[in-house]
Amino acid sequence: MKIVACYSNKGGVGKTATAVNLAHAAAASGLRVLLCDLDPQGASGFYFRIKPSKKLKDESFFKDVKRFIDAIRGSDFDNLDVLPANMTFRDFDIFLSRMKNGRSRLKKALKAVNADYDVIVLDCPPNISALSENVFKAADRIVVPVIPTTLSERTFEQLLQFFADHRLNRRKLIAFFSMVQARKTLHQDTMARLRQLYAGQFLSAVIPFSTDIEKMGQHRAPVATFAGSRQAGQAYGALWQEVRARL
Amino acid sequence: MAECFVLSGSVGDLPWAEAPAGGLRLVSAPEAEAVDFALLDCFDRPLTGSGRVLIEAGAELTLLTDAGRLAQTAARAGNFPGDLAPGPVRTAIADLPFLRSLLALGRGRMVEQRLALLDDQDKTQARARLWRLEPKGRGVAVTLVALQRLRGYDAAYDQLARRLRGAGPHLPLTALAATLFPGCPPYSAKPVVPFTADSAARSTATALIAAHLAVARQNEAGVIADIDTEFLHDYRVALRKVRSILSLFKGVYDPALTDELKRAFSDLMAPTGRLRDLDVYLLDRAFYFELLPDRLHPGLEALFALFAAERERQLAGLSRRLRSKPYGAEMVRLQAVFADPERLVSGPAADLPVGDFARGLIWKRYRKLCRIAREIGPETPDHEIHMLRINGKKLRYLMEFFAPLFPGKQMAKLIKPLKRLQDTLGRFNDYSVQQSSLAQFVETHHAADRVADLAIAQSLGALIAVLHQRQLEERARVQSHFADFDSPATRETFRKLFHHEATA
Ligand SMILES: Nc1ncnc2c1ncn2[C@@H]1O[C@H](COP(=O)(O)OP(=O)(O)O)[C@@H](O)[C@H]1O
Ligand SMILES: [Mg+2]
Repeated sequence: MKIVACYSNKGGVGKTATAVNLAHAAAASGLRVLLCDLDPQGASGFYFRIKPSKKLKDESFFKDVKRFIDAIRGSDFDNLDVLPANMTFRDFDIFLSRMKNGRSRLKKALKAVNADYDVIVLDCPPNISALSENVFKAADRIVVPVIPTTLSERTFEQLLQFFADHRLNRRKLIAFFSMVQARKTLHQDTMARLRQLYAGQFLSAVIPFSTDIEKMGQHRAPVATFAGSRQAGQAYGALWQEVRARL
Repeated sequence: MAECFVLSGSVGDLPWAEAPAGGLRLVSAPEAEAVDFALLDCFDRPLTGSGRVLIEAGAELTLLTDAGRLAQTAARAGNFPGDLAPGPVRTAIADLPFLRSLLALGRGRMVEQRLALLDDQDKTQARARLWRLEPKGRGVAVTLVALQRLRGYDAAYDQLARRLRGAGPHLPLTALAATLFPGCPPYSAKPVVPFTADSAARSTATALIAAHLAVARQNEAGVIADIDTEFLHDYRVALRKVRSILSLFKGVYDPALTDELKRAFSDLMAPTGRLRDLDVYLLDRAFYFELLPDRLHPGLEALFALFAAERERQLAGLSRRLRSKPYGAEMVRLQAVFADPERLVSGPAADLPVGDFARGLIWKRYRKLCRIAREIGPETPDHEIHMLRINGKKLRYLMEFFAPLFPGKQMAKLIKPLKRLQDTLGRFNDYSVQQSSLAQFVETHHAADRVADLAIAQSLGALIAVLHQRQLEERARVQSHFADFDSPATRETFRKLFHHEATA
């Protein structure tokens, strides 16, 4: 089982869009996927039309395997389940490591109810908090959307600095360019510079700025389901292929 | 996770679609266009028998069981279970014998319908797929229902399941094939023939022969169509059993009649032997290649190419024969002969109660087997071992034919070690027969290509040597396997079940 976190210390950069569409692409490729909505806004759940669960406003549910499993909801798509959480997760790293440990009670319980996942995708809230640190430790890869602007560049540097300060493994970080507008020279230049500066850290797949992605809010569905043959629909597939290759 | 079931008939105008509860909405996608389907199974229907329904439609294979539905691509290299593309269906039928091919039990048209329960956010909470199967022929339409549960929405699932379960009378999955395609009776290589200890020996023999003759006939079409090699194998076994009944059930028919019938069945068997030998060579191809070092593989390749070509010719010849008028007439004549025991001229044992008759035959054969086996030592000539094999086989057949007269558990206990002994003896025999048949091949085969011939001859020589070694190894096992068979408990059971004085 692999854990992929979608994270940025900045809001509105496309974390949720990435988490939702990567999870969908992974499930479509036949992997069994659980998308965990860690953002109290509950945006991931919204895109899958899943109502936030009232049961979940309680931290103790980690200790209670059954309550955790009961909170999982099947999406409308094969192989893709969603944990529509909205809470602060204190013991999240412990919880995630239990999910990975084949002998743990949690892992066994998941297996027993046929909810044993190949990939867990985390849609994270934007702050650097205790939760974020836990996520950084537990995740196999942290996928970071970076809008190719000067401001985002600084945010990314801050994140790298945070990893350095806290002795976290920087190689877990995989960045990609999000909301790219190909005609903007600023975007072009920033991308070129960052690719050079952080060679190997940025994926070659980019997610364009696209009204199709904005329209996910109206469709309340992953972009591939209504614009699968268009540029935006294809982009997430390519992004997933690259992430998967690095898992 | 989900469940599948079969409703007889078609689910009409959704009479079961009364307003769903809990703020849910039932929506059904418009019916898809009808497509052709085929219901697949092997000839002896292991899938049907175990409640699995395998359907090919469009480019997809679908397997339905009580526990749900699996699907994968129908693209495949051939029709044996091992030829399927890797996928969930292939995995779920991996228990099928690898020698039997899948075939279409019947065909028809299929219409798919999809149903879903949605909530006020248009989120799907439960799903079902329905397939209406309309068979070609006299069968009755059925509707397959596969429910899909979405995690966390049990109430919706229960609601949809309840509705669909109540939408019509149910059929077990095991009854699906017979409902859709009533024309084709299920096949069993081991027919069940009812008789009791009081039945007369002649009528029992006649019923057994008639049943095995029918088995042989059921295999003819599959031999001709070359679906798999088991058709010819079963065909031959059935005829061989008929011949065994004629020779083992001594005195039930008039001796002259018995001789004439034995000849008739030998004549039926004769043209099938070479084809079966070639089938066995070709099936064991990988085994032969393992026996020889790589250096000798080119010769073996050439040899197997010759075998394959000869098999084509043999099959063409046998198929022609099986389709011919004289063959058909002969089979009809024999079936008529065994349709009525009264028409067969009696021998002295005709009216004996079959219980006593069976015990006598089995006891005598058992004693004979033991007598030969106990004499066997390192010096014993091979033909004595062959005698042992033949007597073991006869004993085995007798015990199988008369199995309905004796307690099943005890019979199984006797047959198990006997079978082990027979397996060793069978391999011993196969290796010896193959050596002489390959040696004969060397002598009779003369092709134009001298280089290839030389390679073939070298490979054959090596093969014969290895087979000889194997034969010796099997031979060395005979004594210990007989010792396992010849336990005090087995002796006691044989005596108890079959010895006259003991049972009288
Ligand atoms: N590639 C894109 N092109 C256009 N709009 C996008 C794109 N990615 C995200 N958006 C929109 O931007 C907003 C913020 O995206 P979101 O994924 O919620 O970001 P985050 O989770 O980082 O806060 C949303 O309204 C979303 O529809
Ligand atoms: Mg978000």
